[in-house]
Amino acid sequence: MYEFNFAPVIAGLDQLLIGAWLTIQLSCAAMLLGLIVSVFCAWGKTSGITPLRWVIDAYIEIIRNTPFLVQIFFIFFGLPSLGLRLTPNSAALLALVVNFGAYGTEIIRAGIESIHKGQVEAGTALGLSRLQIFRYIIMKPALRTVYPALTSQFIYLMLTSSVVSAISADDLAAAGNNLQSATFASFEVYIVVTLIYLVMSVGFSTIFAMIEKAAFKYPLSR
Amino acid sequence: MNISRRMMMAAIGAGLMMGAMATAAAAQTVEDIKAAGKVKIGMLVDFPPFGIINANNEPDGYDADVAKLIGKEWGVEVQIVPVTGPNRIPYLQSNQVDLLVASLGITEERAKSVDFSQPYAGISIGVFGATDAAVSKPEDLSGKAIGVARASTQDTAVTKVAPADAKIQRFDDDASAVQALLSGQVELIGVSNVVAAQIDKAAPGRFAQKLELSQQVQGIAVRKGSTELLTAVNAFIDKVKADGELNKIHEKWLGAPLPDFVATAEK
Repeated sequence: MYEFNFAPVIAGLDQLLIGAWLTIQLSCAAMLLGLIVSVFCAWGKTSGITPLRWVIDAYIEIIRNTPFLVQIFFIFFGLPSLGLRLTPNSAALLALVVNFGAYGTEIIRAGIESIHKGQVEAGTALGLSRLQIFRYIIMKPALRTVYPALTSQFIYLMLTSSVVSAISADDLAAAGNNLQSATFASFEVYIVVTLIYLVMSVGFSTIFAMIEKAAFKYPLSR
Repeated sequence: MNISRRMMMAAIGAGLMMGAMATAAAAQTVEDIKAAGKVKIGMLVDFPPFGIINANNEPDGYDADVAKLIGKEWGVEVQIVPVTGPNRIPYLQSNQVDLLVASLGITEERAKSVDFSQPYAGISIGVFGATDAAVSKPEDLSGKAIGVARASTQDTAVTKVAPADAKIQRFDDDASAVQALLSGQVELIGVSNVVAAQIDKAAPGRFAQKLELSQQVQGIAVRKGSTELLTAVNAFIDKVKADGELNKIHEKWLGAPLPDFVATAEK
């Protein structure tokens, strides 16, 4: 019978929590920046000029059809050859933003395409500006439609961020690997690391559900 | 049934142990080996560049070259027996090989089971960086990014000496740490001289050892009590160190001259 020994894990718990905090910071920053990228690219894809659409299409195809590990190696080990040198944590953030941006674009584009053309025409008839139409008539209902897909993409992004330990960023997975290799208590360390990831995922799901209630009551309750 | 089988296993085990003890006691001399016309040498084949299997499917590497040199010196045929890390000492103790040229690090613990010659090879761990980097003592690591393979010996060694504000970046393996050095993501890395030799192949002259952190010397092992054989092995190592043959092998496999801590080591 295996004897559990959680003492080394408890002794190293502060390291794990520092790692978990970086994972949260990385994921949240990547989501916010990635969302901006996604909205811009989704706009470009649905209403932009043709050359811009080609560029965005190429970006999405490249990112969605290559492994994240390769992308992160390319940014961290490859880009210095072009003179762009990033610290492990900023390279990790950039990779996550670029990755989330590609998936987010497709999700938001689907939302935009779900808006009936008649609604846009109605907005024009009411004398709204192009920006107003995009913001109130297209984006808000579109985001509401794809909100569940966006949040699950975010949870996926947070779990994927465990890969960044490969370029020596100090996230939760790296903290777990460090602790495991120092104590050899791999079973105990990874149980605790798994639990922390689980708590973070469930926590974010709850927060997202609350945001959904607060932000997307419109138009039913207004 | 269960008990009788267990008793039988115990009896067989006891028999084997007695057999092993009987053979372990048999000391050996160079005359025995010369009379047989053949020396059986155990070496690792999974420890590049010391022990590898080459393109012709034959054992090769630093250890193999040293083994062949022993055969040449004693005028006998060399039979190389591939061994593994955990079974190399049992192979020697159970008479299946005459000598171990198996990158066996000389430690007190092992010296209880085998007799070691003077060092014939060594691995050192150090901090490597750009040839012109101004690092000559551990304090100079302050504020610098140092790559290491996570939880390796070099990780432990660098972490021990580096000041608190040094940024130690832990990668999954030596290859990633080397990659980080070559792409300029870290200024320095902690690696063994074996890996350093490979870096020098990839980027000749760009990097050099800045600090030495630890050394591990390796010896040729003979069965406990084979004093006469050990003397002959030591004489062999003295000779090849003096005439430069060992240095040639080191240059060939590690791309650098035999380090001083091996060349001048005393047994």
